Amino acid sequence: MHTLAQLTFEPQLWYFPFEELPEGLWTSVLVGITCGVLGCFVVLRRMALIGDALSHAILPGVVIAFLVTNNTGVWGLLLGALLAGLLTAVLINLVSHKSRTKEDSAIGIVFTALFALGLILISNLPRGTHFDLQCFVFGIPDAVNKEEMYLMGAIAAIVIGIIILLYHPLKLVSFDPLVATSMGVPVLFFHYLLMGMISATVVAGLKTTGVILVVAMVITPASAAYQLTDRFSRMLILAGFFGGLSALLGMIFAFILNAPSGPSMVLVATAIFAISMLLSPSHGYVFEKLRKLRLKRHIDGEDVLKAVYKLEQNQETATKDRIGELARLPLERLPKLFHSLSREQLLNFTEAAATLTETGRHRAIELVRSHRLWESYLAQHANIPPGDLHPHAEELEHAHELADEVDKTLGHPKHDPHGSEIPR
Amino acid sequence: MRILHPDNTSPAQADKTSTAIHLRDVTVSYQEKPALRSVSMDVPQGEIIGVVGPNGAGKSSLVKTMLGLIQQDAGEILYFGKPIQECRQLVSYVPQTGAVDWDFPVTVLDVVMMGHFGRLGWLGRPGKKHKKAAIDALETVGMAPYRNRHIRQLSGGQQQRVFLARALCQKAEILFLDEPFGGVDASTEKAIFSLMDNLAADGHTLVVVNHDLSVLDRYDQLLLLNQHVIAYGPPREVATEENLRKTYGGHLSLLDKAEIAIKDHLR
Repeated sequence: MHTLAQLTFEPQLWYFPFEELPEGLWTSVLVGITCGVLGCFVVLRRMALIGDALSHAILPGVVIAFLVTNNTGVWGLLLGALLAGLLTAVLINLVSHKSRTKEDSAIGIVFTALFALGLILISNLPRGTHFDLQCFVFGIPDAVNKEEMYLMGAIAAIVIGIIILLYHPLKLVSFDPLVATSMGVPVLFFHYLLMGMISATVVAGLKTTGVILVVAMVITPASAAYQLTDRFSRMLILAGFFGGLSALLGMIFAFILNAPSGPSMVLVATAIFAISMLLSPSHGYVFEKLRKLRLKRHIDGEDVLKAVYKLEQNQETATKDRIGELARLPLERLPKLFHSLSREQLLNFTEAAATLTETGRHRAIELVRSHRLWESYLAQHANIPPGDLHPHAEELEHAHELADEVDKTLGHPKHDPHGSEIPR
Repeated sequence: MRILHPDNTSPAQADKTSTAIHLRDVTVSYQEKPALRSVSMDVPQGEIIGVVGPNGAGKSSLVKTMLGLIQQDAGEILYFGKPIQECRQLVSYVPQTGAVDWDFPVTVLDVVMMGHFGRLGWLGRPGKKHKKAAIDALETVGMAPYRNRHIRQLSGGQQQRVFLARALCQKAEILFLDEPFGGVDASTEKAIFSLMDNLAADGHTLVVVNHDLSVLDRYDQLLLLNQHVIAYGPPREVATEENLRKTYGGHLSLLDKAEIAIKDHLR
């Protein structure tokens, strides 16, 4: 009887095989791309656990195929894995729908059972056969041969072709399965189609990362893409790109650092995910900061325009000092603001003074009008005493696109609460 | 329990062309437990039907059965005289807004475009005219300015209107709305009702599932359901205290009872 102690740690097996570079490298990149694209469906349909389950549960299929064909021919293994993957999906569906077991528990029960069955089968392989469990679990990219590379290429082409052809139904089924069913779409068929594609990709990519880490190639690049875009098509493309990039960079780092390739691909994917979290346009830290900065600069710029306008109205020269004083801005910030305003052709400036362009004057009048309208609005609708109006209006005036609406609500007043005329 | 027909004619006598939905003795059970017993009703085209009953009364089961998502054990469901399998495109489902993931990477327009899928088929690609139809549908529900927004940015009432636009995009004649007023404020509820009135005036037939007792009089017909049909007919005739008590049984809260009592006083 064999024991699991055979799963010994033999790091030398993992070292990057320079002479086998092309096959292992290209197969890994293909696996990365395909897993990344398929991962979008896994992530959006919240099936991350199923990805893990599929990769483990194909073991008995692989072993049985090995027993039947008596060699490690890729086509037999692929067929075994496909059947085992689909069986897993069907069993999970049966257990969760025909009993009160919830889906996550059903997944756990089914895949551990199948993995255990696979281990028992391995231990009963006839004497003299060599089934490399370690390769299955951890992956050995130097064992990738030409035939397997072509197989992975074919699988990648088929998977991506199916996703392009069935893009619209796949999107509908993933977003709203209930309505899809009511439209007569065979939702369960699409579910099994996805399961089948994931199983095929995982088994073809087994030698690159192994079953434990292949889940990362499915979930992590797709999750990174999910952070960065609000469009489904862009998410698919980005996830494929991130997956391929993780595989490529992972292999290169593995070579440079003399490290195992599967784990380094996973760590590159994780790094991409971490960066995408920071850079996410909607939730990310960097864009949040940028947005705030840009808004501040926009508001400061408008304050400068208003200050110059007021000085011009008083027939004063708009020197830096006076502008800083009126706009309540530190002097060292002014040159930058002047530059960006003159780029927008709102302001001309020399060392001595600044003058408004025609557009700049329009914008300033708009601001003054907005300010005075908001003051009137606050006085009427928020019961703020006239003396306290200014600071509130100073903020609200930057919402000048609403000025017309305020004007209409107030019934087109001629003067603000302080008696100044509201420009038209 | 006697089954009431709106005008006391039997389904067979009703004018087939104006009967949008015909149900006869529909019975459904879940794992041997009956969920619906012998439900019959005829819905005239262009009317808004309220399906009202407590939780577990079988409202969702009824809708899912009518949509062909659940197989009935017995009985007959016909739309303009045809079974659902022959006229899927005539019927559209507006699910509860909680049923989908609003973080899914699609825009408002994308969601409405999904309504075309039933007619486009598996390999069909939507073109310019489909996009125009989708924008028209958004126009109808007053959501056209939001078409390029991500769906995450919508309020509950806006989500509901986007779902309605998708149903319109399906060019369906019969719309099923599942709890359209869940998590929606009073003014939005009013807006959705006036939208439904417009759709009904255009000849659409709407089946609205609702557990709220406050808007019963807005429907053309009311189906009081608790596993079987308690009553079916115009709200004025059907929404009596006795019928509602039968429908809600012990589930009727004191507030609901007070509401019914006040309405009875006003009558």
